[in-house]
Amino acid sequence: MVERRQTQRLLYVSLFLGLAALMTFYRLLPLGSYGISHDLAGQDALPGSSIGFTLGSLPAPDFLLCLTLAWVVRRPDMLPAPIIVGYFFIEDILLLRPPGLWALIVLLGSEYLRTRTEQLRGYGFWLEFLFVIGLMLAMFLTNRAMLAIVMMPQAPLGLSFVQFLGTVAAYPVVVAVSHFIFGLRKPATGEVDSLGQRL
Amino acid sequence: MAEDRRQDQDFIRPVRRILIGLLATLMLLIFVVWRIDSPRVEQFRMAVIDRVVPSFDWAMRPVARGVALAENFRSYARIIEQNQELRRELQQMRAWREAALQLEQRNAQLLDLNQVRLDPQLTHVTGVVMADSGSPFRKSVLLNVGARDGVRDGWAVMDGLGLAGRIAGVGQRTSRVVLLTDTASAVPVVIQPSGQRAMLIGDNSAFPILEFIESPDDLRPGDRVISSDDGGVFPAGILVGEVVATSDRRLRVRISADFGRLEFLRVLRSRPMERIVDTGDLIAPDQLELNPLELEEPAALPPPLQSDAGDG
Repeated sequence: MVERRQTQRLLYVSLFLGLAALMTFYRLLPLGSYGISHDLAGQDALPGSSIGFTLGSLPAPDFLLCLTLAWVVRRPDMLPAPIIVGYFFIEDILLLRPPGLWALIVLLGSEYLRTRTEQLRGYGFWLEFLFVIGLMLAMFLTNRAMLAIVMMPQAPLGLSFVQFLGTVAAYPVVVAVSHFIFGLRKPATGEVDSLGQRL
Repeated sequence: MAEDRRQDQDFIRPVRRILIGLLATLMLLIFVVWRIDSPRVEQFRMAVIDRVVPSFDWAMRPVARGVALAENFRSYARIIEQNQELRRELQQMRAWREAALQLEQRNAQLLDLNQVRLDPQLTHVTGVVMADSGSPFRKSVLLNVGARDGVRDGWAVMDGLGLAGRIAGVGQRTSRVVLLTDTASAVPVVIQPSGQRAMLIGDNSAFPILEFIESPDDLRPGDRVISSDDGGVFPAGILVGEVVATSDRRLRVRISADFGRLEFLRVLRSRPMERIVDTGDLIAPDQLELNPLELEEPAALPPPLQSDAGDG
Protein backbone atom coordinates (compact mmCIF):
# COMPACT_ATOMS: atom_id res chain seq x y z
CA MET A 1 0.00 0.00 0.00
CA VAL A 2 2.75 2.38 0.95
CA GLU A 3 4.59 1.32 -2.17
CA ARG A 4 1.61 2.19 -4.29
CA ARG A 5 1.57 5.72 -2.93
CA GLN A 6 5.31 6.00 -3.54
CA THR A 7 4.91 4.73 -7.07
CA GLN A 8 2.24 7.28 -7.78
CA ARG A 9 4.46 10.01 -6.45
CA LEU A 10 7.40 8.81 -8.48
CA LEU A 11 5.16 8.78 -11.53
CA TYR A 12 4.09 12.37 -11.04
CA VAL A 13 7.60 13.57 -10.34
CA SER A 14 8.92 11.95 -13.48
CA LEU A 15 5.97 13.31 -15.43
CA PHE A 16 6.81 16.79 -14.14
CA LEU A 17 10.47 16.42 -15.02
CA GLY A 18 9.61 15.08 -18.47
CA LEU A 19 7.24 17.94 -19.25
CA ALA A 20 9.71 20.46 -17.92
CA ALA A 21 12.52 19.02 -20.02
CA LEU A 22 10.25 19.12 -23.05
CA MET A 23 9.51 22.80 -22.48
CA THR A 24 13.15 23.70 -22.00
CA PHE A 25 14.02 21.71 -25.08
CA TYR A 26 11.41 23.58 -27.10
CA ARG A 27 12.70 26.92 -25.90
CA LEU A 28 16.25 26.01 -26.84
CA LEU A 29 15.29 24.95 -30.35
CA PRO A 30 16.90 27.22 -32.93
CA LEU A 31 13.60 28.15 -34.56
CA GLY A 32 13.43 31.70 -33.38
CA SER A 33 13.32 34.46 -35.91
CA TYR A 34 15.50 36.57 -33.60
CA GLY A 35 13.12 39.46 -33.81
CA ILE A 36 12.53 39.65 -37.53
CA SER A 37 9.37 38.24 -39.01
CA HIS A 38 9.65 35.33 -41.38
CA ASP A 39 7.71 37.19 -44.00
CA LEU A 40 9.35 37.12 -47.37
CA ALA A 41 8.16 40.59 -48.17
CA GLY A 42 10.30 42.00 -45.41
CA GLN A 43 10.05 45.46 -46.91
CA ASP A 44 6.48 45.78 -45.79
CA ALA A 45 7.38 45.36 -42.16
CA LEU A 46 8.40 48.96 -41.86
CA PRO A 47 9.81 49.91 -38.49
CA GLY A 48 8.21 52.41 -36.23
CA SER A 49 4.75 51.02 -36.25
CA SER A 50 5.82 47.40 -35.99
CA ILE A 51 8.61 47.81 -33.48
CA GLY A 52 6.15 47.42 -30.64
CA PHE A 53 4.54 44.11 -30.03
CA THR A 54 4.17 42.02 -33.09
CA LEU A 55 3.04 38.53 -32.33
CA GLY A 56 6.30 36.99 -33.44
CA SER A 57 8.41 38.89 -31.00
CA LEU A 58 6.22 38.37 -27.95
CA PRO A 59 7.85 36.47 -25.15
CA ALA A 60 6.26 33.09 -24.65
CA PRO A 61 4.44 32.49 -21.36
CA ASP A 62 6.28 30.66 -18.64
CA PHE A 63 4.41 27.37 -18.80
CA LEU A 64 6.71 25.70 -16.34
CA LEU A 65 5.81 28.19 -13.64
CA CYS A 66 2.11 27.56 -14.29
CA LEU A 67 2.65 23.83 -14.12
CA THR A 68 4.55 24.05 -10.86
CA LEU A 69 2.03 26.30 -9.15
CA ALA A 70 -0.97 24.35 -10.45
CA TRP A 71 0.45 21.08 -9.17
CA VAL A 72 1.47 22.47 -5.83
CA VAL A 73 -2.02 23.85 -5.34
CA ARG A 74 -3.58 20.52 -6.23
CA ARG A 75 -1.37 17.89 -4.74
CA PRO A 76 1.48 19.42 -2.72
CA ASP A 77 2.60 15.97 -1.64
CA MET A 78 3.26 14.90 -5.23
CA LEU A 79 5.84 17.54 -6.05
CA PRO A 80 8.69 17.78 -3.52
CA ALA A 81 10.44 21.12 -3.17
CA PRO A 82 13.97 19.88 -4.00
CA ILE A 83 12.72 18.75 -7.42
CA ILE A 84 11.29 22.20 -8.10
CA VAL A 85 14.41 24.03 -6.99
CA GLY A 86 16.70 21.65 -8.83
CA TYR A 87 14.87 21.96 -12.08
CA PHE A 88 14.48 25.71 -11.97
CA PHE A 89 18.15 26.06 -11.13
CA ILE A 90 19.12 24.01 -14.16
CA GLU A 91 16.81 26.14 -16.24
CA ASP A 92 18.43 29.28 -14.82
CA ILE A 93 21.77 28.00 -16.00
CA LEU A 94 20.62 26.93 -19.44
CA LEU A 95 18.53 29.99 -20.22
CA LEU A 96 21.17 32.52 -19.16
CA ARG A 97 19.19 33.91 -16.26
CA PRO A 98 20.96 35.01 -13.11
CA PRO A 99 21.59 31.60 -11.54
CA GLY A 100 19.67 30.86 -8.39
CA LEU A 101 17.45 33.91 -8.24
CA TRP A 102 14.40 32.66 -10.10
CA ALA A 103 14.81 29.23 -8.52
CA LEU A 104 14.78 30.87 -5.09
CA ILE A 105 11.68 32.90 -5.91
CA VAL A 106 9.83 29.90 -7.27
CA LEU A 107 10.79 27.91 -4.18
CA LEU A 108 9.47 30.60 -1.87
CA GLY A 109 6.32 30.99 -3.94
CA SER A 110 5.56 27.28 -4.00
CA GLU A 111 6.30 26.97 -0.28
CA TYR A 112 3.88 29.79 0.38
CA LEU A 113 1.23 27.90 -1.57
CA ARG A 114 2.07 24.74 0.34
CA THR A 115 1.40 26.39 3.68
CA ARG A 116 -1.95 27.59 2.34
CA THR A 117 -3.03 24.15 1.13
CA GLU A 118 -5.89 23.79 3.57
CA GLN A 119 -7.23 27.20 2.71
CA LEU A 120 -6.89 26.73 -1.04
CA ARG A 121 -8.71 23.44 -0.89
CA GLY A 122 -11.86 25.28 0.03
CA TYR A 123 -11.62 27.67 -2.90
CA GLY A 124 -13.25 27.16 -6.26
CA PHE A 125 -11.18 27.52 -9.39
CA TRP A 126 -11.71 31.25 -9.95
CA LEU A 127 -10.79 32.19 -6.42
CA GLU A 128 -7.73 30.00 -6.65
CA PHE A 129 -6.90 31.63 -9.99
CA LEU A 130 -7.03 35.09 -8.42
CA PHE A 131 -4.84 33.90 -5.59
CA VAL A 132 -2.29 32.48 -8.02
CA ILE A 133 -2.33 35.66 -10.14
CA GLY A 134 -1.47 37.65 -7.05
CA LEU A 135 1.30 35.26 -6.18
CA MET A 136 2.74 35.33 -9.72
CA LEU A 137 2.67 39.12 -9.76
CA ALA A 138 4.52 39.16 -6.46
CA MET A 139 7.07 36.72 -7.86
CA PHE A 140 7.67 38.71 -11.05
CA LEU A 141 7.96 41.93 -9.08
CA THR A 142 10.33 40.37 -6.55
CA ASN A 143 12.48 39.18 -9.43
CA ARG A 144 12.64 42.65 -10.90
CA ALA A 145 13.19 44.26 -7.54
CA MET A 146 16.07 41.92 -6.71
CA LEU A 147 17.69 42.58 -10.07
CA ALA A 148 17.25 46.29 -9.53
CA ILE A 149 18.81 46.08 -6.08
CA VAL A 150 21.94 44.37 -7.36
CA MET A 151 21.91 46.73 -10.34
CA MET A 152 21.62 44.18 -13.10
CA PRO A 153 20.48 45.18 -16.57
CA GLN A 154 16.87 44.08 -16.94
CA ALA A 155 14.47 43.08 -19.63
CA PRO A 156 12.23 45.95 -20.72
CA LEU A 157 9.28 46.39 -18.38
CA GLY A 158 6.76 46.14 -21.20
CA LEU A 159 8.07 42.80 -22.39
CA SER A 160 8.16 41.23 -18.95
CA PHE A 161 4.66 42.52 -18.28
CA VAL A 162 3.47 40.90 -21.50
CA GLN A 163 5.12 37.69 -20.38
CA PHE A 164 3.36 37.94 -17.05
CA LEU A 165 0.00 38.39 -18.79
CA GLY A 166 0.74 35.43 -21.04
CA THR A 167 1.62 33.30 -18.05
CA VAL A 168 -1.59 34.29 -16.30
CA ALA A 169 -3.56 33.40 -19.41
CA ALA A 170 -1.78 30.06 -19.67
CA TYR A 171 -2.62 29.04 -16.10
CA PRO A 172 -6.21 27.85 -16.74
CA VAL A 173 -5.01 25.84 -19.73
CA VAL A 174 -2.34 24.14 -17.69
CA VAL A 175 -4.85 23.44 -14.92
CA ALA A 176 -7.31 21.96 -17.41
CA VAL A 177 -4.66 19.72 -18.93
CA SER A 178 -3.49 18.59 -15.50
CA HIS A 179 -7.04 17.94 -14.43
CA PHE A 180 -8.41 16.10 -17.42
CA ILE A 181 -5.36 14.41 -18.86
CA PHE A 182 -3.07 13.75 -15.89
CA GLY A 183 -5.91 13.28 -13.44
CA LEU A 184 -4.48 15.65 -10.89
CA ARG A 185 -7.28 17.00 -8.72
CA LYS A 186 -7.69 18.56 -5.37
CA PRO A 187 -8.69 15.91 -2.88
CA ALA A 188 -12.35 16.35 -1.98
CA THR A 189 -13.29 16.94 1.62
CA GLY A 190 -13.13 13.68 3.47
CA GLU A 191 -11.42 11.86 0.63
CA VAL A 192 -9.10 9.17 1.89
CA ASP A 193 -6.13 7.44 0.38
CA SER A 194 -5.67 3.71 0.16
CA LEU A 195 -4.50 3.59 3.77
CA GLY A 196 -7.66 5.25 4.95
CA GLN A 197 -5.80 8.39 5.86
CA ARG A 198 -7.16 11.82 5.21
CA LEU A 199 -5.45 13.41 2.29
CA MET B 1 -0.45 2.70 11.48
CA ALA B 2 -2.48 5.85 11.69
CA GLU B 3 -0.72 7.09 14.78
CA ASP B 4 2.54 6.29 13.12
CA ARG B 5 1.91 8.70 10.37
CA ARG B 6 0.89 11.52 12.66
CA GLN B 7 4.09 11.06 14.59
CA ASP B 8 5.96 10.93 11.35
CA GLN B 9 4.59 14.26 10.34
CA ASP B 10 5.41 15.83 13.67
CA PHE B 11 8.91 14.58 13.28
CA ILE B 12 9.28 15.42 9.63
CA ARG B 13 7.88 18.92 9.64
CA PRO B 14 10.81 20.70 11.39
CA VAL B 15 13.35 18.71 9.39
CA ARG B 16 11.57 19.71 6.23
CA ARG B 17 11.56 23.33 7.24
CA ILE B 18 15.31 23.20 7.78
CA LEU B 19 15.78 21.57 4.40
CA ILE B 20 13.77 24.27 2.65
CA GLY B 21 15.71 26.93 4.50
CA LEU B 22 18.95 25.33 3.42
CA LEU B 23 17.85 25.17 -0.19
CA ALA B 24 16.77 28.79 -0.16
CA THR B 25 20.05 29.86 1.41
CA LEU B 26 21.98 27.86 -1.14
CA MET B 27 20.15 29.53 -4.03
CA LEU B 28 20.65 32.97 -2.51
CA LEU B 29 24.31 32.18 -2.00
CA ILE B 30 24.76 31.11 -5.59
CA PHE B 31 23.05 34.27 -6.78
CA VAL B 32 25.25 36.46 -4.57
CA VAL B 33 28.40 34.64 -5.62
CA TRP B 34 27.37 35.08 -9.24
CA ARG B 35 26.86 38.78 -8.71
CA ILE B 36 30.22 39.16 -7.01
CA ASP B 37 32.35 36.91 -9.16
CA SER B 38 30.43 36.78 -12.39
CA PRO B 39 33.19 35.53 -14.73
CA ARG B 40 33.84 32.38 -12.75
CA VAL B 41 30.19 31.42 -12.48
CA GLU B 42 29.67 32.27 -16.14
CA GLN B 43 32.56 29.97 -16.93
CA PHE B 44 30.81 27.24 -14.99
CA ARG B 45 27.59 27.98 -16.86
CA MET B 46 29.38 27.80 -20.17
CA ALA B 47 30.89 24.47 -19.16
CA VAL B 48 27.44 23.12 -18.30
CA ILE B 49 25.96 24.32 -21.57
CA ASP B 50 28.96 22.95 -23.39
CA ARG B 51 28.23 19.57 -21.88
CA VAL B 52 24.45 19.54 -22.05
CA VAL B 53 23.36 21.17 -25.27
CA PRO B 54 25.45 19.17 -27.76
CA SER B 55 23.97 16.01 -26.25
CA PHE B 56 20.53 17.24 -27.30
CA ASP B 57 21.75 17.84 -30.80
CA TRP B 58 20.44 14.58 -32.21
CA ALA B 59 16.96 15.55 -31.15
CA MET B 60 17.14 19.23 -31.93
CA ARG B 61 18.41 18.92 -35.47
CA PRO B 62 15.47 16.88 -36.85
CA VAL B 63 12.83 18.98 -35.10
CA ALA B 64 14.33 22.23 -36.30
CA ARG B 65 14.64 20.82 -39.81
CA GLY B 66 11.06 19.61 -39.72
CA VAL B 67 9.73 22.99 -38.73
CA ALA B 68 11.84 24.68 -41.39
CA LEU B 69 10.44 22.22 -43.91
CA ALA B 70 6.90 23.06 -42.88
CA GLU B 71 7.66 26.75 -43.21
CA ASN B 72 9.03 26.21 -46.66
CA PHE B 73 6.03 24.13 -47.59
CA ARG B 74 3.71 26.88 -46.53
CA SER B 75 5.52 29.30 -48.74
CA TYR B 76 4.89 27.06 -51.76
CA ALA B 77 1.32 28.24 -51.60
CA ARG B 78 2.35 31.68 -52.74
CA ILE B 79 4.77 30.45 -55.31
CA ILE B 80 3.41 32.27 -58.36
CA GLU B 81 3.22 35.56 -56.58
CA GLN B 82 6.72 35.07 -55.34
CA ASN B 83 7.96 34.12 -58.74
CA GLN B 84 6.74 37.35 -60.24
CA GLU B 85 8.19 39.30 -57.41
CA LEU B 86 11.52 37.57 -57.84
CA ARG B 87 11.56 38.25 -61.56
CA ARG B 88 10.97 41.89 -60.94
CA GLU B 89 13.70 41.98 -58.37
CA LEU B 90 16.03 40.10 -60.65
CA GLN B 91 15.58 42.75 -63.28
CA GLN B 92 16.47 45.44 -60.82
CA MET B 93 19.38 43.40 -59.59
CA ARG B 94 20.82 43.09 -63.09
CA ALA B 95 21.03 46.83 -63.30
CA TRP B 96 22.62 46.96 -59.89
CA ARG B 97 25.05 44.23 -60.76
CA GLU B 98 26.25 46.17 -63.74
CA ALA B 99 26.73 49.21 -61.60
CA ALA B 100 28.49 47.18 -58.93
CA LEU B 101 30.91 45.68 -61.41
CA GLN B 102 31.84 49.05 -62.72
CA LEU B 103 32.26 50.38 -59.23
CA GLU B 104 34.36 47.42 -58.25
CA GLN B 105 36.77 47.98 -61.09
CA ARG B 106 36.94 51.63 -60.30
CA ASN B 107 37.46 50.89 -56.64
CA ALA B 108 40.25 48.48 -57.42
CA GLN B 109 41.95 51.11 -59.51
CA LEU B 110 41.61 53.71 -56.82
CA LEU B 111 42.87 51.36 -54.12
CA ASP B 112 45.78 50.55 -56.31
CA LEU B 113 46.51 54.23 -56.78
CA ASN B 114 46.36 54.78 -53.07
CA GLN B 115 48.42 51.69 -52.29
CA VAL B 116 45.98 50.70 -49.59
CA ARG B 117 46.85 47.47 -47.85
CA LEU B 118 43.83 45.54 -46.70
CA ASP B 119 44.17 43.62 -43.50
CA PRO B 120 45.48 40.22 -44.62
CA GLN B 121 44.87 38.56 -41.29
CA LEU B 122 41.11 38.53 -41.55
CA THR B 123 40.33 34.83 -41.93
CA HIS B 124 37.27 33.11 -40.62
CA VAL B 125 35.83 29.94 -39.12
CA THR B 126 32.30 29.00 -40.04
CA GLY B 127 29.99 27.38 -37.52
CA VAL B 128 26.47 26.01 -37.51
CA VAL B 129 23.83 27.45 -35.20
CA MET B 130 22.96 24.77 -32.67
CA ALA B 131 20.60 26.34 -30.21
CA ASP B 132 18.73 29.43 -29.31
CA SER B 133 19.13 31.31 -26.06
CA GLY B 134 15.68 30.11 -25.08
CA SER B 135 14.80 33.31 -23.34
CA PRO B 136 12.61 35.96 -24.92
CA PHE B 137 14.84 38.67 -23.50
CA ARG B 138 18.13 37.38 -24.78
CA LYS B 139 18.98 37.44 -28.43
CA SER B 140 21.81 35.01 -28.75
CA VAL B 141 22.61 31.73 -30.43
CA LEU B 142 24.97 28.87 -29.75
CA LEU B 143 27.52 27.90 -32.41
CA ASN B 144 29.23 24.56 -32.73
CA VAL B 145 32.72 25.99 -32.87
CA GLY B 146 34.60 26.77 -29.70
CA ALA B 147 38.00 27.09 -28.08
CA ARG B 148 38.97 23.91 -29.90
CA ASP B 149 38.74 25.83 -33.16
CA GLY B 150 40.58 28.81 -31.79
CA VAL B 151 37.52 30.97 -31.23
CA ARG B 152 38.03 33.72 -28.67
CA ASP B 153 35.78 36.09 -26.83
CA GLY B 154 34.92 39.30 -28.60
CA TRP B 155 35.42 38.18 -32.18
CA ALA B 156 32.99 39.47 -34.72
CA VAL B 157 30.41 37.14 -36.23
CA MET B 158 28.72 37.65 -39.57
CA ASP B 159 26.46 35.73 -41.84
CA GLY B 160 27.12 35.85 -45.56
CA LEU B 161 26.07 39.45 -45.88
CA GLY B 162 26.65 41.48 -42.77
CA LEU B 163 27.61 41.63 -39.16
CA ALA B 164 25.43 39.49 -36.91
CA GLY B 165 26.98 39.89 -33.48
CA ARG B 166 29.99 39.01 -31.42
CA ILE B 167 31.27 36.06 -29.48
CA ALA B 168 30.51 36.20 -25.77
CA GLY B 169 31.36 33.03 -23.95
CA VAL B 170 33.48 30.26 -25.38
CA GLY B 171 33.28 26.64 -24.38
CA GLN B 172 35.45 23.80 -25.55
CA ARG B 173 33.13 22.83 -28.38
CA THR B 174 30.57 25.61 -28.41
CA SER B 175 30.51 29.35 -28.28
CA ARG B 176 27.75 31.85 -27.72
CA VAL B 177 27.02 34.69 -30.10
CA VAL B 178 25.34 37.76 -28.72
CA LEU B 179 23.32 39.12 -31.62
CA LEU B 180 23.17 42.82 -32.45
CA THR B 181 19.56 42.94 -31.28
CA ASP B 182 20.37 41.82 -27.73
CA THR B 183 20.08 44.45 -25.04
CA ALA B 184 23.64 43.73 -23.98
CA SER B 185 25.02 44.45 -27.42
CA ALA B 186 26.72 47.76 -28.17
CA VAL B 187 28.87 48.04 -31.26
CA PRO B 188 30.80 51.02 -32.62
CA VAL B 189 29.79 51.83 -36.19
CA VAL B 190 30.47 54.36 -38.89
CA ILE B 191 27.67 55.75 -41.00
CA GLN B 192 28.47 56.34 -44.63
CA PRO B 193 28.59 58.60 -46.55
CA SER B 194 28.69 61.22 -43.81
CA GLY B 195 31.37 59.29 -41.92
CA GLN B 196 29.86 59.89 -38.51
CA ARG B 197 30.63 57.54 -35.69
CA ALA B 198 27.91 56.12 -33.49
CA MET B 199 27.10 53.25 -31.21
CA LEU B 200 24.64 50.61 -32.34
CA ILE B 201 22.77 49.50 -29.25
CA GLY B 202 20.38 46.57 -29.22
CA ASP B 203 17.06 46.91 -27.45
CA ASN B 204 15.44 43.54 -28.04
CA SER B 205 13.57 44.82 -31.08
CA ALA B 206 14.44 43.88 -34.63
CA PHE B 207 15.93 47.29 -35.28
CA PRO B 208 18.75 48.34 -32.93
CA ILE B 209 19.08 52.00 -32.01
CA LEU B 210 21.84 54.34 -33.17
CA GLU B 211 23.06 56.38 -30.24
CA PHE B 212 25.68 59.04 -29.64
CA ILE B 213 25.41 60.55 -33.10
CA GLU B 214 27.04 63.90 -33.37
CA SER B 215 24.64 65.54 -35.77
CA PRO B 216 21.63 63.37 -36.53
CA ASP B 217 20.48 65.87 -39.14
CA ASP B 218 23.22 64.73 -41.48
CA LEU B 219 21.85 61.23 -41.56
CA ARG B 220 19.27 60.07 -44.00
CA PRO B 221 17.27 56.87 -44.00
CA GLY B 222 19.03 54.47 -46.30
CA ASP B 223 22.56 55.49 -45.33
CA ARG B 224 24.90 52.57 -45.08
CA VAL B 225 26.11 51.54 -41.64
CA ILE B 226 29.41 49.71 -41.42
CA SER B 227 31.40 48.51 -38.45
CA SER B 228 34.24 50.56 -37.07
CA ASP B 229 37.39 49.59 -35.24
CA ASP B 230 36.95 52.13 -32.48
CA GLY B 231 38.04 50.58 -29.24
CA GLY B 232 39.92 47.87 -31.06
CA VAL B 233 37.20 45.25 -30.77
CA PHE B 234 35.87 44.80 -34.27
CA PRO B 235 37.48 44.80 -37.66
CA ALA B 236 36.44 47.88 -39.57
CA GLY B 237 34.43 47.97 -42.72
CA ILE B 238 32.00 45.09 -42.29
CA LEU B 239 28.53 45.92 -43.54
CA VAL B 240 26.02 46.21 -40.70
CA GLY B 241 22.89 47.57 -42.32
CA GLU B 242 21.13 50.74 -43.29
CA VAL B 243 19.66 53.61 -41.33
CA VAL B 244 15.91 53.78 -40.89
CA ALA B 245 13.97 56.53 -39.16
CA THR B 246 11.06 55.51 -36.99
CA SER B 247 7.91 57.47 -36.38
CA ASP B 248 9.22 58.63 -33.01
CA ARG B 249 12.13 60.36 -34.78
CA ARG B 250 14.71 57.90 -33.53
CA LEU B 251 17.33 56.51 -35.82
CA ARG B 252 17.53 52.77 -36.00
CA VAL B 253 19.32 50.30 -38.21
CA ARG B 254 17.84 47.66 -40.46
CA ILE B 255 20.40 44.89 -40.16
CA SER B 256 21.69 43.35 -43.36
CA ALA B 257 22.37 39.97 -41.83
CA ASP B 258 19.34 37.75 -42.31
CA PHE B 259 18.25 37.22 -38.73
CA GLY B 260 15.26 35.25 -39.94
CA ARG B 261 17.47 32.44 -41.08
CA LEU B 262 20.62 32.25 -39.07
CA GLU B 263 22.06 28.88 -39.87
CA PHE B 264 25.71 29.21 -40.78
CA LEU B 265 27.67 31.96 -39.15
CA ARG B 266 31.16 33.14 -39.92
CA VAL B 267 33.43 33.97 -37.00
CA LEU B 268 36.10 36.44 -38.08
CA ARG B 269 39.48 35.82 -36.54
CA SER B 270 40.68 39.20 -35.53
CA ARG B 271 44.06 39.79 -34.03
CA PRO B 272 44.36 42.37 -31.31
CA MET B 273 45.37 45.56 -32.97
CA GLU B 274 48.82 46.98 -32.46
CA ARG B 275 48.86 49.89 -30.09
CA ILE B 276 51.04 52.94 -30.27
CA VAL B 277 52.38 53.21 -26.75
CA ASP B 278 55.22 55.71 -26.67
CA THR B 279 55.04 59.30 -27.69
CA GLY B 280 57.09 60.47 -30.62
CA ASP B 281 60.84 60.62 -30.11
CA LEU B 282 62.86 63.71 -30.58
CA ILE B 283 64.02 63.86 -34.17
CA ALA B 284 67.62 64.85 -34.20
CA PRO B 285 70.77 63.53 -35.80
CA ASP B 286 72.72 61.44 -33.33
CA GLN B 287 76.04 63.07 -33.87
CA LEU B 288 74.75 66.56 -33.45
CA GLU B 289 76.33 67.12 -30.09
CA LEU B 290 79.39 64.94 -30.59
CA ASN B 291 80.86 66.57 -33.64
CA PRO B 292 78.87 69.48 -34.92
CA LEU B 293 81.26 69.83 -37.83
CA GLU B 294 79.84 66.86 -39.68
CA LEU B 295 76.42 68.28 -39.68
CA GLU B 296 76.28 68.62 -43.44
CA GLU B 297 76.76 64.92 -43.96
CA PRO B 298 73.66 62.82 -44.35
CA ALA B 299 73.42 61.84 -40.73
CA ALA B 300 72.19 58.49 -39.57
CA LEU B 301 68.46 58.33 -39.96
CA PRO B 302 66.47 58.93 -36.82
CA PRO B 303 65.05 55.78 -35.26
CA PRO B 304 62.02 54.64 -37.26
CA LEU B 305 58.89 56.31 -36.07
CA GLN B 306 56.45 54.21 -34.19
CA SER B 307 53.61 55.69 -36.12
CA ASP B 308 54.55 53.41 -39.01
CA ALA B 309 53.27 50.47 -37.07
CA GLY B 310 49.71 51.22 -38.00
CA ASP B 311 47.36 54.02 -37.45
CA GLY B 312 44.45 52.13 -36.02
